[in-house]
Amino acid sequence: MPEWLLKDENYQPLPDRDTFIDKSILSLLRILSRIRAQSGYTGGKHSVHAVYKVACTFLLIVLLSVSRNIWFLAAVGAYLLAALSLMSADRIIRVIKAGLIISFFSFLILLPAFLMGNRYSPVMIPLKTLATVTAVGILSHTTGWHAVTGALKSFFIPDIFIFVLDITIKYIVMLGELSLDLFYSLKLRSVGKNVEKYSSLSGIAGTMFLKSKEMAEDMYSAMECRGFTGSYRVRRRFRFTPADFLYIVVHILLITIFVYLG
Amino acid sequence: MIELNDVSYSYEGIPALKRVSLRIEKGESVALMGVNGSGKSTLLKLLNGIIFPDTGEYLFGGESITQKKMQDAVFSKHFHQRVGFVFQNSDTQLFCSDVYDEIAFGPRQMGMEETEVEKRVEDCLALLSIQNFRHRQPYHLSGGEKKKVAIACVLALNPEVLVFDEPLNGLDPRTRRWFVSFLIQLHKAGKTLISSTHDLEMVQEIATRAVLFDEKHTVAADKPAQELLEDIDLLKKVNLIDEFYHKHPGAGHQHFHIHPF
Repeated sequence: MPEWLLKDENYQPLPDRDTFIDKSILSLLRILSRIRAQSGYTGGKHSVHAVYKVACTFLLIVLLSVSRNIWFLAAVGAYLLAALSLMSADRIIRVIKAGLIISFFSFLILLPAFLMGNRYSPVMIPLKTLATVTAVGILSHTTGWHAVTGALKSFFIPDIFIFVLDITIKYIVMLGELSLDLFYSLKLRSVGKNVEKYSSLSGIAGTMFLKSKEMAEDMYSAMECRGFTGSYRVRRRFRFTPADFLYIVVHILLITIFVYLG
Repeated sequence: MIELNDVSYSYEGIPALKRVSLRIEKGESVALMGVNGSGKSTLLKLLNGIIFPDTGEYLFGGESITQKKMQDAVFSKHFHQRVGFVFQNSDTQLFCSDVYDEIAFGPRQMGMEETEVEKRVEDCLALLSIQNFRHRQPYHLSGGEKKKVAIACVLALNPEVLVFDEPLNGLDPRTRRWFVSFLIQLHKAGKTLISSTHDLEMVQEIATRAVLFDEKHTVAADKPAQELLEDIDLLKKVNLIDEFYHKHPGAGHQHFHIHPF
């Protein structure tokens, strides 16, 4: 054993600005926890089937963009508020926050039109944006990623496309966890003044690239060993529940309102 | 040196540690045992100041380790110099262009002269028998070699406490033997060792004390390592071993094992 290892280190670190490590860790944690929470969402046995949710959300977005009637918008708003009220408080905040931010930006873009005397578009378009983003937010906060990708099967999306989507989400999480550990390690080993901060970051990026390449090659080999020939079948399981029925009735009602109001 | 008082931690509402109290003195070698998902790795992250308890208190050298305190860069860097963490996956620990730079990363940050850095790196290379890898890229090394480089990186900081997460995972038998004797040497050199492991043979050889976690994420036992390994009923109860785990009485060298079917 070298002598220095047998003694306690007499070391007092110098201050250094490396908040970027903490910020990177925090943002990675935020993304990973969101994906995990979203992927883990099953909705329970009374939840609406993902196929109906995806189809009805798509339909709602089309109707919203086509409609020029403020009362239809009000009806959709009422429905979305009712759907939001069934969610937990933190999810409601996240959905509304995203909707408000995006609709605010669309209002900013349309502000010159409002100042030039156009009173219709600067009100309608941000409201439509708010409703659209809220509808998508509700879908993504109440349906797991795999359920959404699985639902695409019903819309004749090729299986291989669904497969690629599933794998992409899986590897975002895996590589995210790897990069999180790399940042943890960089933080733990940054015990003093690092004059080459950016070279550490490029080292992390390089490791990530090599690891993703290795994972891709491993997966290719594994798929070959398992007899993968390019076709991938997504299994659909359908059981029509009262929740599905209620959900469809509400959307038929919204279509009726849309047609009635013109 | 290390004191945990009634510490609990959960991941988004899912408990990982429940009311854990633990005291580790300087120079001890402690093994953390338990089945997968019992909270060992979470405890190691907590001991390294990566995560912080939801409730309870973590004291290191008499000072409370909190998120607020770790935001003080000087305190946090000093703490990380004193507690070294060897990750289970060595890939996550290596990000420099070659092995030499990897080991020199810590000492250079500590403001050492380049001659002193060189001495420290050479000592670490020799200690871990990896002198030939000095100019190799860490990413292209084998699993055991990467593990050795990762340990060298941490040792170069000369921490008082060395924390190992599943250190024997993925190592070949020869490297495992080498590693066990290396840990014994480190312990004899006065380092405080904390290792999480499933390997009961390793616990028998390197640990003076063993802390056993159960599936409820609580401490089921905290005893001298040998005494805990003899408590077969308890090890079975926490699902760490099955009914085939035994040792033969009267044999010269005694250790627990199972016979292949």
